[in-house]
Amino acid sequence: MEFIGHGGKKLVERVVTDKKEALNKIKGLKAVPVRRQLATEAISLAYGFFSPLEGFMKKNDVDSTCKNMALVDGTVWSIPIVFDISDQEIVDYGIKVGTSVLLTYEGNPLAIFEIEDIYAYDRDTWSQAVYGTTDSKHPGVKRTLDYKDKFLGGKITLINPPKFNPPFDQYWLTPKQHREKFGQKGWKRVVAHQTRNVPHSGHEWLMKHAWMATHAEMSMEETEEGHAITGVLVNAIIGEKRAGDYIDQAIILTQDALRKYGYFRDDVHMTSFTLWDMRYAGPKEAVHHAIIRTNLGLTHHMFGRDHAGVGTYYGSYDAHRIFNKIPKEKLNITPIFVVEWLYCPHCGEVTCIGLCNHKKEWQGFSGTVIRSIIMDGVKPPRLIFRPEIFDIVQECAEKYGFGSPFVTQEYLDKGTQAFRIDPL
Amino acid sequence: MAETYPINIWINEERYAKLQKAGLAELTQDAFAGLKKLPVPNTMNQVDRVVKLFPKAKFDSATTKTIELLPKDVKDDIFDMVVSMGKIDIMEEFLKKHGA
Ligand SMILES: [Zn+2]
Repeated sequence: MEFIGHGGKKLVERVVTDKKEALNKIKGLKAVPVRRQLATEAISLAYGFFSPLEGFMKKNDVDSTCKNMALVDGTVWSIPIVFDISDQEIVDYGIKVGTSVLLTYEGNPLAIFEIEDIYAYDRDTWSQAVYGTTDSKHPGVKRTLDYKDKFLGGKITLINPPKFNPPFDQYWLTPKQHREKFGQKGWKRVVAHQTRNVPHSGHEWLMKHAWMATHAEMSMEETEEGHAITGVLVNAIIGEKRAGDYIDQAIILTQDALRKYGYFRDDVHMTSFTLWDMRYAGPKEAVHHAIIRTNLGLTHHMFGRDHAGVGTYYGSYDAHRIFNKIPKEKLNITPIFVVEWLYCPHCGEVTCIGLCNHKKEWQGFSGTVIRSIIMDGVKPPRLIFRPEIFDIVQECAEKYGFGSPFVTQEYLDKGTQAFRIDPL
Repeated sequence: MAETYPINIWINEERYAKLQKAGLAELTQDAFAGLKKLPVPNTMNQVDRVVKLFPKAKFDSATTKTIELLPKDVKDDIFDMVVSMGKIDIMEEFLKKHGA
């Protein structure tokens, strides 16, 4: 079955699954080893997470993305997806336009890269356009400045699909597989919940809010009969980690536990992930997330306060406002805007700042407090943090985090990666 | 009384019951949605000794004036000592126990 992805274009899938064919195709190609970020982006490109892109972007598309938030052909695009390389490497690997190389990861073949463009691009223009700043303290700007001398553009074909390590193997789906899954579930509408968090009740309510807003005017009969036609997809972002983040295993297992322990019904809630290194580009990253989730086949996307922001570079609702500037026909996913949920002692429940009027009594979900509670292993009231979620976080700390549910240097050095590339 | 610098111990229902038995429940403060905290006081001299004894711990001198990031088992031990000794001023005994 053919699926339509972002920009109304055919969903990209450039993957060779036949081993013999793959071995044939890579014969005689020069091997170019890549770091984790480029490997994950090559994988995402090949499976169509970044449809309609078929490979790393060429200069004209990067330029158009920076200047017009669109590819040359007019498709909305907000963050350049590039392959950086040093001048020395270009010489060493004999890279020329019109040739192909074999990208390898951790010594094993990964993908064929057809070189169509070799170029440089001004980093300040890029940073200002994508991040709204040239401040090198911004992690996205820093990444842009750290890229090597030149960029290569051209098509990617995956010839050795990644193997996912437990527990990630249970949650990995390609864009096509996402769509097939939604089809099996009979979901007519699906709303994305973007996350890098272990959920507390505030997050849970954001998802409930998003589900209700998404379901909106549709019939409730099927839901009452036990086969909902609107679903919530928790799509976790798995990528570069920073010390102090929750470990990936804890994020994915606790999100799924909301379904497993009945806080959401089986027919309503599902968890998967996307490989992506956060750029913290605020509004521009919100658009990028919307594009990815369009390709996964979602119809709606939830955006909360400070979506994908960092520091004080963006206003709390900048990531909402940017969608007003994009013509409806250009983005085939409906944004669902949500506000903060918190605990109100007067109401005696978790409620929404848009509804409750006991402002003076409000107790917000403070990240510092939640983190401290988790570190001390003192089980909080179930109203604010589900006991099963709490137990899983502690289990994950022991099993995957070297005793800590938060990323430590030890986890960065020795923790299990989400995926590996085996010999072909 | 001189200013003190607390170590905040989280108190859930289970711990609250133990404090009630020890007659110390009213020393707790409301923190978040029914979760309480027990501020175990330190003098500045005790703060210095605690931070020296547990190098990962930090004294937040700027905002909260509390000792943060103590390992879980250390905070568990402090709570247990409060309950077993039936008083909140236990840091001198705690530090002595650890030879500090
Ligand atoms: Zn209220």
